[in-house]
Amino acid sequence: MAQGSIAVDRRVAVPIETRRASAGFWSDALWRLRHDPTTLAAIAIFMLMVLLAVSADFLADNFFHWSFAKQDLLNTYAKPNLGDPAMWLGGDHIGRSVVVRLLYGARVSLFIGVFGMLVTLSLGIVVGISAGYFRGWWDDVIVWLVSTIRSIPTLYLLLIVGLLFKLDPLSLAVFLGLIGWTGIANLARGQTFALRERDFVIAARTIGARPLRIMFRHVFPNLLPLMIVLATIDVASIILAESAISYIGFGIQPPTPSWGNMLNNATTFVFRGPHLIYGPGIAIAVTVLCLYLIGDGLRDALDPRLRGIIGGKTR
Amino acid sequence: MGRFIARRLVQAIPSLFGIMLLTFLLTRLSPSDPVQLMVAGNFDITVEDKAALRHSLGLDEPLPLQFLRWIGSAATLDLGNSFYYHRPVTQLIWERIPNTMQYTIPSLILAVLIGAPLGFVAARLRGRFPDHVIRLMSVVLHSLPEFFVGLLVVLILGVQLRWLPVGSMNTVGESCTFCLDRFVHLLGPVIVGALGGIAFYPRLMRTEVLEILGQDYVRTARSKGLRERVILTGHVLRNALIPVVTIFGGLLGIVLSSSLVIEQVFNWPGLGRLLFEGAVNKDYPMVQAVTIIGGVLLLLSYILRDIAYAWVDPRIKVR
Repeated sequence: MAQGSIAVDRRVAVPIETRRASAGFWSDALWRLRHDPTTLAAIAIFMLMVLLAVSADFLADNFFHWSFAKQDLLNTYAKPNLGDPAMWLGGDHIGRSVVVRLLYGARVSLFIGVFGMLVTLSLGIVVGISAGYFRGWWDDVIVWLVSTIRSIPTLYLLLIVGLLFKLDPLSLAVFLGLIGWTGIANLARGQTFALRERDFVIAARTIGARPLRIMFRHVFPNLLPLMIVLATIDVASIILAESAISYIGFGIQPPTPSWGNMLNNATTFVFRGPHLIYGPGIAIAVTVLCLYLIGDGLRDALDPRLRGIIGGKTR
Repeated sequence: MGRFIARRLVQAIPSLFGIMLLTFLLTRLSPSDPVQLMVAGNFDITVEDKAALRHSLGLDEPLPLQFLRWIGSAATLDLGNSFYYHRPVTQLIWERIPNTMQYTIPSLILAVLIGAPLGFVAARLRGRFPDHVIRLMSVVLHSLPEFFVGLLVVLILGVQLRWLPVGSMNTVGESCTFCLDRFVHLLGPVIVGALGGIAFYPRLMRTEVLEILGQDYVRTARSKGLRERVILTGHVLRNALIPVVTIFGGLLGIVLSSSLVIEQVFNWPGLGRLLFEGAVNKDYPMVQAVTIIGGVLLLLSYILRDIAYAWVDPRIKVR
């Protein structure tokens, strides 16, 4: 009876298109994920963050009754107080509500993280697989490009970009993606090197499959688990990079709130409003922590090689 | 070994060229005009003056020619004059590098000394309480942004408790390098700089040790009846240290990147601070030069890493 219900669960939970390709692997991974409370908690908290960020407008209008730009110059550096929802985390140097600004900052940070990740992921996968598969001059060019970008400290490069271009969240996300794809490309390339010598790829080539087909039907699915893990961690590192460059003052510019520029602001007024640094700092830390935990959980769930190494059970 | 080092140095040349090309293209293809940046704030400048300035800087020549000229002068270590200080930027950078090294090197060493043993302990006691604590600590530290931790250090230890100075390299009036005063000022930057590594090494070391413990040669060693201590030091630790060494170079990149933030937080007059000031003053040869020097430092650290790698694991040289 109990076994029957587990079987039903699996059938419901596995996406249909992946099920056809390799039902065992994905449902196995999902099963492991569902039995991993830490990761589940991290996913829940992250989802809550996303939900709060998405409903920032609604909450600001109907719950906090305070827009992100509304000032209260007679009541600056308000200490956190539980009576007024808008002042839960206090007010800043021109009396704006920290909570509401955090919500809008979440929008910016999460958008940049996710969008930047999409850029790194698509660029990294395409470039990495093609370099690893075709080798030759294309691979040399890619290796050169990757090693060049990796030899410049990321924040330095970002600072130049921030200095020379007017950055809105979208362009910053694109730039972060353009800088950050090298890690994924490197791994995808290395894995493709190994995969292209495997029997199933040779077999595909023997029956006349075209390179594009081999790369997307045979190589890519084998990389997917690793890429999902990397993508999760990438969101976190992009959020960190965005907040760092905005903290320096060359990222997202005020009045658009971002967690990074709120911290910049907090530093300026640290003597009169020390409470200002905790909100944005903790928001960044919690978001990044959740994403790392999700990444770890996904890796444990998806990477079958780790199971062999760590023996018996995963946990 | 000599040939390996020589080959590795030659291999770095294309990357160096790439760094130069990238910084050059980024600054030249951007919408901001360097002449405009240079004269910003001066309203009585005529169009002719601007054209003359443009010509004297060589900015009216075709881009490829400009690039070649720039590379040519960079080869003689001339990266231009700072718009702000009116001094050669290489000189200014040279003055600041020791300041940055003063806290980055101790923080890298501190990170390895704390992080690697923690990872080893976590792997040995896998699944037990210390393992959970170490893993939790590592993941939490990993997700704390340096500037936030730095700000907390300044706010709590500096402003509120007054245990540490809040910034700069020396107390006003003092200017010594090897003394207690400098040491106290170094504590904040070193600790914050080390956090990234302290968070990172346990994870690396733990996975590595666990992987090696599952290897055939460890099983063989065990079945031969070797003592566990011999296996751990001779077979496991030696192999687990390889990635610790190799990742060291990559860490310098992170430290250099975060130097921008750390020096901002602690008001430390190093390379990152110079870059930040350059950016604020729109001092654009300075920004370009610091980026290139940062890239060169990073390339050098990668080369050192590979040499260290080849030294620890002789199989590498064969490739």
